[in-house]
Amino acid sequence: MSDGSKGLSKARQIYSDRSLRARELKAEGRRIIGYPCVYVPVEMLTALDLIPYRSCGDIREPVTEADRALPGSFCPIMRNCLDCALKGKDDFLDGVVAIHSSDPQEKTARVWQSYTDYPYFHFIDMPVTVRPEAIEYFTGQLNDLKRTLEAFSGKALTAGKLDDAIKSHNQQRSLVRQLYELTKPSPPLIRGAELVQIVKALMSLPVAEGNDLLTEVMSEVKNRTDGPTKKGTRLLTWGSTLDSVEIMQVFEANSNVVMDDSCGGIRAYRAEVQSSADPLEGLASYYLKEITCARTFRQAELGESRKDYAGDLQSRFGYLKGIIREWQISGVIMLLVRYCDPFAFEMPSLKDYLDSLGVPSTYIEYDYTLGALAPLRTRVEAFLETIS
Amino acid sequence: MYYAGVDIGSTMTKVVIIDGGDDLLSVIKGPTGPEHRQLANQVMAQALEQANLQIGDISFIVATGYGRVNVPFADRQMTELSCHARGVSVLFPDARTAIDIGGQDAKCMKIDAGRLVNFVMNDKCAAGTGRFLEVTAAALGINLEDMGDISLRATDQVQISSLCTVFAQQEVVALLSRGEKLENIVAGMHSALAGRISTLARRLAIEPRVVLTGGGAKNTGMVEAMREKLGCAISVPEEPLITGAIGAAVLAKEICLKTADEHGTPPAKPRRLEKATFFIEENP
Repeated sequence: MSDGSKGLSKARQIYSDRSLRARELKAEGRRIIGYPCVYVPVEMLTALDLIPYRSCGDIREPVTEADRALPGSFCPIMRNCLDCALKGKDDFLDGVVAIHSSDPQEKTARVWQSYTDYPYFHFIDMPVTVRPEAIEYFTGQLNDLKRTLEAFSGKALTAGKLDDAIKSHNQQRSLVRQLYELTKPSPPLIRGAELVQIVKALMSLPVAEGNDLLTEVMSEVKNRTDGPTKKGTRLLTWGSTLDSVEIMQVFEANSNVVMDDSCGGIRAYRAEVQSSADPLEGLASYYLKEITCARTFRQAELGESRKDYAGDLQSRFGYLKGIIREWQISGVIMLLVRYCDPFAFEMPSLKDYLDSLGVPSTYIEYDYTLGALAPLRTRVEAFLETIS
Repeated sequence: MYYAGVDIGSTMTKVVIIDGGDDLLSVIKGPTGPEHRQLANQVMAQALEQANLQIGDISFIVATGYGRVNVPFADRQMTELSCHARGVSVLFPDARTAIDIGGQDAKCMKIDAGRLVNFVMNDKCAAGTGRFLEVTAAALGINLEDMGDISLRATDQVQISSLCTVFAQQEVVALLSRGEKLENIVAGMHSALAGRISTLARRLAIEPRVVLTGGGAKNTGMVEAMREKLGCAISVPEEPLITGAIGAAVLAKEICLKTADEHGTPPAKPRRLEKATFFIEENP
């Protein structure tokens, strides 16, 4: 960034004005492609020298324009995202790649395209299951994306370029996992609010710059004296997205938030894209199987008809067991964005799973605004009072 | 030794002072009003006067309720959920479920060994709170205090279909002008509210003894409607508005004694009974 700030303060700055770097790069002649969801294979954009930019709206923005295009009782994140687009807040984008991760994502993509004039717009269809035939289909969809990206960029998306891009993005994933290792100590070396800022920054920068930022942050944090103080409870926040410093600060007022499963956090970085004879198949397999999002249906293989609730819980939530143990989690906040069906339907099952592990949990709903933080605070405090 | 609980609710502020034996030395209630942060010290001063004590005599003060951050002379803040659960347990040692029907929210609490273990809250929709009764009573031209008696005279129950408090106002007036009896309409209002609150409560496993608190518990019609919807006996404290403040005072005592056990008795805290302010006054 032009002002020379580094590490945590750079992340803080980017969080407060995300599009600054993208606009700088645009002025230098680079092309920026927006993506609303972490299921979009950003490696394919990086490989063609396009800069991926996460279009996730802004929780601080009051939604005033989206009502003319979207229903009211609808994913508030997508409403916010479209609202920002209608207000021209992302007018620096050269295009958008949307994906059918959820129905609101799909429907909003259609509306987004009709109300805006980006030179490039692509919608990826994505299956709901992780069966072999689903991965095959998804690979075909990524081939379709490859064709339209090549036509737009005027360049060939070669296997070599894609492998390089996968390496850079895998490197970022590895660095993020290393960053989260720094929340294992008691007290953790880094705040949940700082993690939110860093991930937001990563989703606003070209991958190489994001990797540099992560390296800076880690060396800064390892020697810091201004880290979080130890609180009585170590929390994991589970939900679709938690990308707001204000909400995170409510959670962290009387606890240490040391881990999350959110796409404002570690969700997109938990695993690696494996190398594969067909890199697109490697991407399809990674994105469909490794992103732990409620939109994906992991129950039952093709032909299975036997009910097995315990097995089902294990396949949907088993990844949390090791995390809870390693990060010494003493409580889980199950955070729902209002009207989010996929995550709402997971809540009772997740609670059953956490009960089976003996981990206390609480269910909190918010509407992706900053209007009602006091009730949120009361619920979190009451939860902490029951477990301390 | 003396301990105090200050419960600043959205409608009413309650202060309770107890001694080491949990005897109530004073109980003061007053309307909160919009400037609640300026009120806590006044209500506390009244409670001290009633108990014949000075602020320095109180060993520990817990503040609770939605205005709990605005009590500068409090030693600790705890949520009203923990305080109501504790207060209910003191009054009914075998209580397992507490339901507080307040002016602006409804809370359901599970209690185990005298402590809060689980909870659900509604504070997003007025139709599930005391406000629903206030607004519809005003629309019908009757006093909130009379609603219980009126509804117990009902010969039938009218269904209120509106899910929204504002639309329910129109609905009850239309019902009245269509010739429906006032008692039956009021019974229907209680039933509608009780239905919503019991649906909320059922997210927790409801176990007896079930205790109802808050302004809603002073309404005999509401108690009856809850009894009907939950299908079990309901206990009501003599003074349903002060369970939060009682719980806060008892928790104050417990925290103070526990701290003294672990770290020795702390020196007397210099406490100033003054109104909360977030601004430094240039020319006081």
